[in-house]
This record gives sequence, structure tokens and C-alpha cells, in this order.
Amino acid sequence: MIDTLKLVTMNLLTQILTPLTRQQWLILGLVGFALLTPIAAASFGAANIGFLDVLHVFISKFNYFFASDEAARTSSMTERIVMELRLPRILLAFVAGAGLSLAGSVLQTVTRNPLADPYLFGISSGASFGAVVMLTLFTGSGLFDNAGVIANSGIFSGSGTFAGLLWFSLPFGAFIGASLSVLIVLALAGLGLKSQVERMLLSGVATSFMFSALTSLLLYFASPQATASVLFWSLGSFAKASWSLLVLPSLVVLVSFMIILGWKRQIMALQAGDETAHTLGVNVPKLRLNMLLLCSLITAILVATCGGIGFVGLMIPHTVRLLFPGRQPIFLTALVGGLFMVWIDVLARCLLGNQELPVGIITAAIGSFFFLLILRRRKLSS
Amino acid sequence: MHTTSSLAPIAPATAYANTALKVSQLSWAIEGKTILSEISFALPQGEMLGLIGPNGAGKSSLLRCLYRFIRPAKGHISLFSQDISELSPKAFACKVAVVQQDTPQYFDMTTEQLVAMGLTPHKGMFDTNSSGDGEKIAKALEKVGLSHKVHQQYDRLSGGEKQRALIARAIVQQPQLLILDEPTNHLDIRYQIQILELVRSLGISVIASIHDLNLASALCDHLLLLDKGQVSAMGTPSQVLTEERIAEVFGVCAQVTPHPQHGNPLINYFYGYQKPQGVAADEVHSHTHQKQGGHP
Repeated sequence: MIDTLKLVTMNLLTQILTPLTRQQWLILGLVGFALLTPIAAASFGAANIGFLDVLHVFISKFNYFFASDEAARTSSMTERIVMELRLPRILLAFVAGAGLSLAGSVLQTVTRNPLADPYLFGISSGASFGAVVMLTLFTGSGLFDNAGVIANSGIFSGSGTFAGLLWFSLPFGAFIGASLSVLIVLALAGLGLKSQVERMLLSGVATSFMFSALTSLLLYFASPQATASVLFWSLGSFAKASWSLLVLPSLVVLVSFMIILGWKRQIMALQAGDETAHTLGVNVPKLRLNMLLLCSLITAILVATCGGIGFVGLMIPHTVRLLFPGRQPIFLTALVGGLFMVWIDVLARCLLGNQELPVGIITAAIGSFFFLLILRRRKLSS
Repeated sequence: MHTTSSLAPIAPATAYANTALKVSQLSWAIEGKTILSEISFALPQGEMLGLIGPNGAGKSSLLRCLYRFIRPAKGHISLFSQDISELSPKAFACKVAVVQQDTPQYFDMTTEQLVAMGLTPHKGMFDTNSSGDGEKIAKALEKVGLSHKVHQQYDRLSGGEKQRALIARAIVQQPQLLILDEPTNHLDIRYQIQILELVRSLGISVIASIHDLNLASALCDHLLLLDKGQVSAMGTPSQVLTEERIAEVFGVCAQVTPHPQHGNPLINYFYGYQKPQGVAADEVHSHTHQKQGGHP
């Protein structure tokens, strides 16, 4: 009697416990972490705002939407810092990380090249070039000192129309530059199936070098401030984040995510080779070109908004693939990329007491270290 | 009746009531070099056609034309009396499945995911796999005997298992025509036989390029012998596989006798490229003739 009871409970226990494999526990933990992240990440920064304060702000905001209680409407200083500075910044970091990781993951799959990342196709150097052109144009008119500070520090309070113009034109220039390099790569890659991938990669590398050279040339003749400013910009920052700045990147990343999800089967089929994908009804050259275009759009928008944040697009897809082998985790890649970027930005805000570090430095430093660690563990375990 | 002339009894394309595939005057050249020239044949529905020929005869190129990976310079290919160039990539993939020789190195999928790829042409943009699809995949895996390897990484399967997984994917694709490019390459003899028997048992029209002439003879309804891009012979195994033709096309000396089990040609090769003394060649010949006499 006791034995059967034991058996039943054992069976029940195994039934409850076995369906969750290690991978599933990992996913569960990740989702929980993602839910906590906005609150936790918002409690880091210059102003001393605790975890509970942030939670309180979020709850009162939540109440604000549902019960138009007068008491809930009053906004304190804490609330303004959380809602107008930190939350948009966290969201922008998330969107940027998710977008870059998605782009990297898709590009690695469609080119079947593990080293492909959004910056390999000349997008980042094209964007830098565009930004430098804009900066030097304004330096020429003697307005740079003023404008450069404004463009980088994220303080937009009353400094004339030209400064405002630069703040607007820097991302604009970056976007034009990025698009230009993509167009060159696309034109050279072509719609032929034969050696399309090689043409894409090689023309990307060549375009990248070409724009880097042009950028260096411009910077060589530019003022030291301009050089410093471009350097700062090219390392990336979310300091400019605001709700209005968030709209376009979020929209682009979200729509791209939906498109990638819709074409998931075709993209996965490409992983098995061009010929196999063809026999599964995929128009291979067209799909690859469209995906390059889409990833370029994501990257160009993000580079224009946050500057050049390297290594995320290359590393996150590989990390996710190593952590979740045998899955095709588009959603997970975006999630991990977003979370990674949010916490990198927290580090950027907190590592130095009175100064922010460019996020690009931290992504590269931490990212490569973390990646090597995972790679080593995988190698040992297999 | 059988003749020993080099002209092959090419099956006329209109001879079959239900033609799965009809190829007429197909030619393809690359950089001025003719790879395929004036190839015509027809495949009756539900039959298995073996494509044989020496290396470089154009077997893979012909198959690639059939699954539209390369566009022939000249000629027509029709699938169930519809020109294949009229079909969309998706519609074509719903009708024709292909099993190729190898998969790329950088490939991170479980066996189940690989087999599920066969659903690709049947699915719309945001369609998820239904429980019916899951059953289809499980059944296909069972059919190829890989049910126990469902969650294993495809990379870690053995050569024979990989090939069977690819066939399971083709089964899930539910094609009317299955094209296999050397499905028995790199496999030991047990799997060579097993895979061709498996493909045969599906009951759909099949074209497979096969290197082993004995295997082709035993398991195909018809054979198409390619030589230097041209059809050298087409017909039943006993019509195509004669000592003269094997000598002419493959450049080896062989003895052809009826197989004790199924009566189709059994080929024994002589080493040293010529018939040794003491083998009664005439006797062998008469066997072949008798057998073919029974199959007009």
C-alpha cells in the first residue's frame, strides 16, 4: 500500500519535474529576469532612487491610467527622473540590443557565415562617415563647440537653432551614410545565386574600408573637438534617450521582428544550404537580399540613434545558440540581446562615479570576455 | 525484341497513360561546354527511374535541371503535363522533393527540426506546426527508423542515419515526385539496399542517380543511361545493362547474368579490363537473351 503510494508520488513528481529541462528552466529564469529588469535597472543612476521607489512610481503610473485620482497625478521629482530619463533610456537600450542581435542572427543564418554581423557590411563605417560629414560641416561655420556638446550630452535646453539642427542632422547624416554603403553592397551582391554570399561579404568589407578611409581623411583636417566628438559618438551612448526618440527605432525593430518571424521557416531553410532551401520552395537570392536590406535598416536606424555599438550583433546570437543548442531562438535572441544592452548601459552609468562610459567600450570588453568563457565551457563539456 | 546495336530502345514519351515527368530535347551548356544535349525521356507515374552513367556524364546536372536549380538552355520539362517553369517556387516544392548528397558543416538542428523543414512549402507566413504536422513528422521518422533519434543533433547522426533523415524530410514534404542525387553514396551495403527499398515503398514517382549498377538493376523499374551528356540507353534494366553497353560507356569488361533472385541483370566485373580465358562468354550471352525474350 505504502509502496504504491510511493510509486504514485514518484510518478507525479517526475511528471511535474521532467517536462522542464535545463533549457526550459533557463528560459523561465530569463523571462522572470526580463520582467524585473526595468524596475531594477531604473534604480541605478546618479540620483539615489531605490528599487522600491521605482516600483512605487510604476504602480502609481499604473493607477494613473485606470483611476484618475488627483493624488496619483502629482508627479514628484523621483517620478520625473524615472519616467522621463531612466525608463526611455532603458527601453532604448533594450530596443537597440534586441535589434542588433536580431540583425546579427539573421545575417549569420542567411549568409551561413558565423562571423557575419550588422557592421560587417559597411553599415557602421558608412554611418560614421555621414556623421563626420555633418559634424565637419557645422565646424566650418564655427558653431561646433556649442553644438558638439549638445549633440553628445543630451541636454537640449535652449542653445539656438543651429545646435538643434546638428542634433537632428547627425543621426540623419549617419542614416544617409549607412544607406549609401548598403546600396553599394546590394548593387554588387546582385540577384544571381552564384557566389552571392562571397560578393556580399567582400563588397561589405571593401565598402567598410573605403568609408573608414574617407572618415579618417575628414577627421585629419577637422578640429580636435570634432575628432573627440566623433570618437564619442562612434562608441555609442543612450544618454540622448527620450520618449520621442524612442518611437522610430522601436517601430523599426518591432516591425522587422514580425517580418523575420513570418519568414522564419525560409530563413531556417537557408541554414541547410542554398540548394536545399531552393528545393523547399525558397527564392534564395531574393530572400537573402531582402534580409540584408531589413537588417541594414535596423542597424542604420540604431546607429543613427545611439551611435556605433559593436559586438552585440556578433556575440549575442552565438551566445544564445551555445546556451540553447538545437533551438532556432529568434525571440530569445532578441530578449537576451535587449537585456544584455540594458545592463551594459547600467554599468556605463555607474562604473565611473561622475562620468558616463560609452557603452561600445563595455559591450566589447565584457562581451568578448563572456563569449570566450562560454566558448571554453562548451569545449570542455563536449 | 532485343538487339545488340548501340541504339537504345528509348521509351516514347506518349506511351504512358499517366506520365509524371516528361523531358523533351533538354540541353544545357556552361561556358561553351555542352553538359547535357538533347535529352528526352518520360517517367510513368509511380515508377522508379534509375539514372546511371560514369562520372561527369551529367547525372547531377540533369537532376538539377529537373528541380529547377539550373535553367536549361533548351528543351521542355513538364510535370503531370504542366510546364515546370510556370509553377511558383512554393507550388513546385509542394510537388517535387529532393534529397541531395550532403549538408553544410555549420548546421545546428535536431533530427526532428530537420525533418520538420519539409513543411516549409506547405506553410504560410505565421503558421505554426499543428498536432497533425507533429504526427506527420513522427510517422516519417518511424518509417525511416529514426524514432529514437528525434532529439539528437543532426550533425551527430551517422551517414546512413543522415540520409534517412533527409528522406524523412522529403516524406513530410508530401511530393508527387521524389528526386534523389546519389542517395546511396558513402553508405554501407545494408543501408544502400534499405534506402532504395524504402524509397520504392513510398509508392510515388522517383528519379534517383545511382552509381552501383547492380543496385540500380535490382531496384529500379527503368534505367536511364547517360554518357557524355547524352542518353545512351533507356528502358528496363535488362534492356539497358548489356555487356556491350557497359564496355562502351563505362570502359570495363563485365559479364551479365540474370540475378538468381529477381532475374534482372547481375553484373560481374572482370579485373584487368578484359575477359579472362576460360569464361564461356557465349553461354552467358544466351542466358541474357533468353531472359530478355521473356520480357518484350
